[in-house]
Amino acid sequence: MPVQEVRTRIKTNLPDPAGEALLAEIRSALGLNSVRMVRTARVFRFEGLTPAQADLLAQSLLWEETFQDYTVNRPLITDADRLLEVAYRPGVMNPEAASLVKAAHDLGLRHLDAADSSQEYAFYGPVTPEEIELITKRLLVNATIQHVVTAKPESLRIAGAGRATKIIPLRRMGDGQLMELSRDKLFLSLDEMRLIQEYFRRAGRDPSDCEVEVLAQTWSEHCMHKTFKARITVGGREKKPFLKRLQEATADVDHPLVRSAYVDNSGVMAFYEGWAVCGKVETHNSPSAIEPYGGAATGSGGVFRDVMGTGQGARVIASTDMFCFAPPGTPWEEIPPGCLHPHYLLRRVVAGVRDYGNRMGIPTNNGSVHFHRDFRAKPTVIVGAYGILPEERCLKGAARAGDLVLVIGGRTGRDGIHGATFSSAAMTERTMDVNAQAVQIGHPIEEKRMSDAILEARDKNLIRALTDCGAGGFASAAGEMGAGTGVLLALDAAPLKYSGLAPWEILLSESQERMVAAVAPENQQPFQGVCRRLNVESTVIGEFTGDGRFRATYNGETVLDLEMSFLHDGLRTRVLEAAWEPLTPPEPVLEPPAHLSDWAELYGRVMEHLNVCSKEPLIRLYDHGVQGTNALPPLGGADLDAPNDAVVLTPLLGRPYGLVIAHGLNPVLNLIDPYHGSIWAAAEAVSNAVAAGADPAEMTLIDNFIWPVPDVEVLGALDRAVDACADFSRAMGMPFISGKDSLSSTYTTGEGLTIRIPPVLCVSVMGRVPDVRRTVSADLKQPGSTLALVGGRRPEQLGGSAYYDLHGFLGRSVPEIDLEVLRSVFEAVHRAIRAGAVTACHDISEGGLAAAVAEMAFGGRCGVRLTMPAGIRPDHFLFNETAGCFVVELTPGRAPGEVFAHVPCLAIGETTADGAITARAGEEELFSVPVAFLKHRWQRPMKEVFGA
Amino acid sequence: MRPPVCILRTDGTNCDVETAYAFGKCGADPRLVHVNELRAGSAQLSDHAVLVIPGGFSYGDDVHSGKILAVELTSFLRDALLEFTARGRPVLGICNGFQVLVRTGLLPYARLGEISATLMANDSGRFECRWVRMRIEGRSVFTRGAEGRTVTYQVAHGEGKFYTSEGVLQELEDNGQVVFRYVGPGGDPARTYPHNPNGSLNAVAGLADPTGLILGLMPHPERSVETTQNPNWRRGEGGDPDGLPVFRNAVRYAREM
Repeated sequence: MPVQEVRTRIKTNLPDPAGEALLAEIRSALGLNSVRMVRTARVFRFEGLTPAQADLLAQSLLWEETFQDYTVNRPLITDADRLLEVAYRPGVMNPEAASLVKAAHDLGLRHLDAADSSQEYAFYGPVTPEEIELITKRLLVNATIQHVVTAKPESLRIAGAGRATKIIPLRRMGDGQLMELSRDKLFLSLDEMRLIQEYFRRAGRDPSDCEVEVLAQTWSEHCMHKTFKARITVGGREKKPFLKRLQEATADVDHPLVRSAYVDNSGVMAFYEGWAVCGKVETHNSPSAIEPYGGAATGSGGVFRDVMGTGQGARVIASTDMFCFAPPGTPWEEIPPGCLHPHYLLRRVVAGVRDYGNRMGIPTNNGSVHFHRDFRAKPTVIVGAYGILPEERCLKGAARAGDLVLVIGGRTGRDGIHGATFSSAAMTERTMDVNAQAVQIGHPIEEKRMSDAILEARDKNLIRALTDCGAGGFASAAGEMGAGTGVLLALDAAPLKYSGLAPWEILLSESQERMVAAVAPENQQPFQGVCRRLNVESTVIGEFTGDGRFRATYNGETVLDLEMSFLHDGLRTRVLEAAWEPLTPPEPVLEPPAHLSDWAELYGRVMEHLNVCSKEPLIRLYDHGVQGTNALPPLGGADLDAPNDAVVLTPLLGRPYGLVIAHGLNPVLNLIDPYHGSIWAAAEAVSNAVAAGADPAEMTLIDNFIWPVPDVEVLGALDRAVDACADFSRAMGMPFISGKDSLSSTYTTGEGLTIRIPPVLCVSVMGRVPDVRRTVSADLKQPGSTLALVGGRRPEQLGGSAYYDLHGFLGRSVPEIDLEVLRSVFEAVHRAIRAGAVTACHDISEGGLAAAVAEMAFGGRCGVRLTMPAGIRPDHFLFNETAGCFVVELTPGRAPGEVFAHVPCLAIGETTADGAITARAGEEELFSVPVAFLKHRWQRPMKEVFGA
Repeated sequence: MRPPVCILRTDGTNCDVETAYAFGKCGADPRLVHVNELRAGSAQLSDHAVLVIPGGFSYGDDVHSGKILAVELTSFLRDALLEFTARGRPVLGICNGFQVLVRTGLLPYARLGEISATLMANDSGRFECRWVRMRIEGRSVFTRGAEGRTVTYQVAHGEGKFYTSEGVLQELEDNGQVVFRYVGPGGDPARTYPHNPNGSLNAVAGLADPTGLILGLMPHPERSVETTQNPNWRRGEGGDPDGLPVFRNAVRYAREM
């Protein structure tokens, strides 16, 4: 039966928001004015229906008479100058297809067996074919997952021929052949290839493709973290592996709230009343660089599953997002070949995080965006997730011999398998062209119902152990869970999206929204009952054995048989050399502004600096209120547009307990000095939490290192950054409990262009407070109160600041933070907030004290009169960015010297009702700048990017 | 007596827990019921005093927001819903639940299967999360005694623009079926963004059926039942949480049934 087509569109007398949004982008992002109007239509295709049934489906599902028109099997928009249909490539999962089939079945149309949907764009105006191509390429189609439909498809079904397991004649390969095999698809070193060869020589047989692939996957940098586990020599002196340094610091801190650190899918700390909270922060840089929407969305999905798979299952309660891009205004000619423009990347990454979190019902309420031109080849996309779970279920059980391996959630396809080609075969009616790097677009609804099922099964005590299928798919999930016992998988039992996957592909597939549970045999029925009721597919794909081997069969034939000990411990520790050469950029000599108006302009430029400006248009795209737990939102103040430093959640509704989440990073500082830059990041993260009222004694940390590809110097910088983290952890008494390294952010071309990102250390913080009513926001509360600066800093240390950057300088004098002073400042600020002596608090970061005070005034809808201290240059005083310093508004009647007696503290002025920020140095008025002017400048950049 | 409240869940429902909390806080016995349980008969709608369809992205909001669930309800639970409303039991739809009620036809005319209005994509073309002010008007069992009050709730949606024919709109106004209306700083109906966050006709944020038993609204009253949920409680706002009247009224009405 031929494919039936239904088209719907918004009636022509009504606005079409999707069309208008695209038109605005065509004008703003591409500067094209030839397009007068854009209208859109949806296209739905069905296989297995008659034309009459398609019409019935249109009337009862697809079309709403109130605002739409529709057609069946004929064009709907006929008057456009150009018409273009964009669809997902065949084989890329379109989540809407399943809903179409479900609804059709609900309506009694049982014969529908395949459905698809796509979008038509109609362009009106004298637009040229070249312009259409530009619009298509830059705004509409990401060729990795989408294509322009030129002819109606013959069929919507996807299938392929099965492929057998191959034996790889590894034993008789020479070094050259080993490396050739590795280069093509395994990415292992010669040493590692020889280890595998020796293993199979001892075994007296050649390996299957499954075995080689599983070893390569398990031993990959991504899964094994070989660099972080390597021994490091610096200047001939051997130092401990990076990971060990962080773990030893955590052990030394020996924090009583830590429940698990660096062992589970996320780090776990105790909360209140028998509950624990957990956190995990992940990166998804490479997928996001290729397909920002899908890459970021599946990044969120993956980190949510990490939390869901913590202990015996956790509920995800918060999502965070930290991004680094090149400036959105970067000229096209500066974008390296094969890379996407940051303007597009930024908006699509935000859209991906938005759609995954919003749809799954996870509030996204803490994040930041940083800009530097060296992110123009590869962005940094960091996504975090936090969860809550009963303390008594916060540790994983170990799978036991005889337990079943259940896969739950989505089906397995070819997603994320490199080098896989998907050719059509006799079973399909049309040629399939699945891109080798088929990036999945993520299915948050699948993940939400899976989460519901896990929580119910957990509470019924049906889960022994649980983990997500991320990198390495079943191979890594089952291989890790069965490390202590052994596991036997029947790969033919795994539910597939389409036929034709080779056994090794089933093992290695990175299809999203899948998790693996170890379930005792007696719990199989009740576990699957829970899943069925919640529309979650669950399938037994194997069992844990007692033989210490990782085995898999396909239709009864053994395709994988490896000793777990070789898989997990067969690799030798590497020894890597590191050396750090300090960068010596010139320290600029700047003069402070001479006139009042120069000050106003400088202040405005600092506020609109991309690393300082308001991120409100992004923040509003995220649902930050779902779950009803938000007690300190990302934006607050009189006009609800002033930023807060951290988010405070009440995950137990009706109880006063608060979870405080914050983070810090400042990549540009690591370019100059990775040690002090990393201290800055950690200090900033904790400062954000403390500014909101978190207790520095009840905090845990998460590290994320996003570094260029390691060479001796890059490793040298990493060595300094890791030392900084360990020093910070010990000095503050704050343990790192989870972390991740991603060491691949270098871009090279054949022509010798190399772009390394500024090294990123992102530190995230989880803290708890017994009563959220003892937390504060950043907005100023009333005129006439005293403002104080708390914290130690050397104002002349302006290296890497927005102030220098505006003048075209990097500078050398990175803020150096005294850890001893810092700890006492954190404690003093927390004590003051808890005691009710502080009505508003904001920490100093990019843009310095000037930006902090301005943001506080935005929130208070008030003014500020600053008094410059004698002996300090006013521009240094205002624009120094030392983390660990706070601007506080004191409760009336409290004096700075009394509240902050034993830490560096300075009265800096008072709040006013006059709507201006003024500064005096002695008798001289330096400037008086309207708050409204600063706010306008501060809000403008992201409004322009997001069209808000 | 704690009246049993059916909080209906399905794939993609995500405001169920806080909605249950709001009802529990106001004296109800909230029960999370999956649509599959109603379809299978292992739970009965008639065992509940109030039906609530909470917020979320039911079935991913595919095709139209709330549409797939609306089709499911009208296909499989038609009789149960007709009986429920015929017995005078209240129905509440929040955000995605409002979209579902409009797409089943339960709103605005309590006529199952007859769609006479819609919630379309926001004029801005974007999902947005922000706080909005609304005036409570009209007639519904959920807002008794709160008429005339101005409340602040959070909106978080991409498809919330209320749209219908001029005739229907006039009828809704004449019948007092507009229960929540977005207002600007001066208290006038909000015609423009951002006070009218989505471009709704006549600034309609929420509607009741002619009897006042069925209510749907885009903003989230369940996110305003605790003082600390107010974004500016530190500035002295949110002392008497604005969302509570909706849930208290439902419970009071259910007790009196």
